[in-house]
Amino acid sequence: MRGKGEKGVNREQEITMATETTNAGMSRRQFLRGSAVAPLALMLAGSGVAAVYLRPAEAGGVTLRPPGAIAEKRFLAACVRCGKCAQACPYRSIKMAGGEAGVGIGTPVIVPREMPCYLCPDLPCITACPSGALDKSLQDPEKVRIGTAVIMDRESCLSIRGLRCEVCHRQCPLIDKAITIEPRHNPRTDEHTIMEPVVHSEKCVGCGICENSCVLPKPAIVVQKTVVIQRDSYEF
Amino acid sequence: MSSRWWLPRRTAQLSVLALIASPLLGTTFFRGNLAAADLFGLPLADPLAFLQALIGGRVFVLSYLVSALAVTACYFILGGRSFCGWICPVGLITELGDKLRRRLGSGEATMPLVASRWSLGLALSAVALTGVPLFEVLSPIGIISRAIAFASLMPLFVLAAILLVETVVSRRVWCRSLCPLGGFYSLVARFSLLRVGFVEQRCSHCGDCLHVCPVQEVLAPSLGLGAPQITAGDCSRCLACVDSCSAKALNIVLSYK
Repeated sequence: MRGKGEKGVNREQEITMATETTNAGMSRRQFLRGSAVAPLALMLAGSGVAAVYLRPAEAGGVTLRPPGAIAEKRFLAACVRCGKCAQACPYRSIKMAGGEAGVGIGTPVIVPREMPCYLCPDLPCITACPSGALDKSLQDPEKVRIGTAVIMDRESCLSIRGLRCEVCHRQCPLIDKAITIEPRHNPRTDEHTIMEPVVHSEKCVGCGICENSCVLPKPAIVVQKTVVIQRDSYEF
Repeated sequence: MSSRWWLPRRTAQLSVLALIASPLLGTTFFRGNLAAADLFGLPLADPLAFLQALIGGRVFVLSYLVSALAVTACYFILGGRSFCGWICPVGLITELGDKLRRRLGSGEATMPLVASRWSLGLALSAVALTGVPLFEVLSPIGIISRAIAFASLMPLFVLAAILLVETVVSRRVWCRSLCPLGGFYSLVARFSLLRVGFVEQRCSHCGDCLHVCPVQEVLAPSLGLGAPQITAGDCSRCLACVDSCSAKALNIVLSYK
């Protein structure tokens, strides 16, 4: 046994020597590699990675999540970034965020202006989600809350300006529930009616079909993740 | 030098890439990526992704736990870090990077293998304390998968950063010492059944296995002290050593010793 042990040690030394010979005797080239190139490469790699990740997901406009998404902070951890919801979406409404989303990299996002959510009755995105980041207990499309539509630009909205547009109202899958038309007298012409679309936040699912269908180059109606309560002038 | 295991291993690695790309052709037999997937209706889940979702997102889905456990059980039998050697697309790319590094003759420095376990601990404590799933965010595995499946190319720079560091600074440093998933599977691998065995009498100490092994440290106890099995925890079961051994001193065993 003793003999075997000694032999073993010798072999170990041989192996260590074999692996170390490459390091013996340092040329200028090797020195540069060790002391200049390596730290530079590390810095380059590190700062690149940091530059992307040190910003919140909203920074890249990644705010609207697929139906059933749990609260954003938990969602960021619960979502395993597998992309199955996006692959299950028949309309390709769900996109996968890239580096622009910072810590939200690889998470699913809906950009209504590109493609809104059409509220499939069976919600295949929720079925596809393995982790519960999209809440499986949500089965009724009308209970979905991706966000809430808000008429952001009242000055541009054609209906509010007195024209007969109302495209958002007619396109809304919850027509006359989530968006209603509230007629009122048009004081500017004094002989017409303003057919104003009004969003009802308790009914709006935030699918974004209104935002997608708005005829203006920059949509007047936009889905917001969280709505800052706006007081209308007549309430004062 | 025979290359019995090289071909099936490359085939497995490339098949994984093909599977991830398959939904682009409109097929539905595979969905998802290595974090979570459906293969012919069979749900597969990365156990580390499951842990992070559970800890950080406080979500629990029973079917997800079952698939994560099933995958862990498979790797328990098939060698744990065999994920790194046979499945992981990052492994495929950093292996090619390693070939480049050898040609350049740079980046000889090595980091200790135990760092991957620390990295696993760091990822899990980060998600517990801050709610940021550090590994899902940084994971070059997810980044490659999404680059293939969703043409999300910009994050590939993370992979470029890894390749740069691996070719210039330290050999296979991401896979060996930094990847938390590698750390997780190294814990599974420590107890797993499929191992590389060593027959001391046949060994001619030519050093061919050391040359091809990405984690040379695991060979040392056998070559130095005649241990009958290669250290199981960090061995990726790539079987390059078995292929390289002209004396047939290395073989595959299904037992503990």
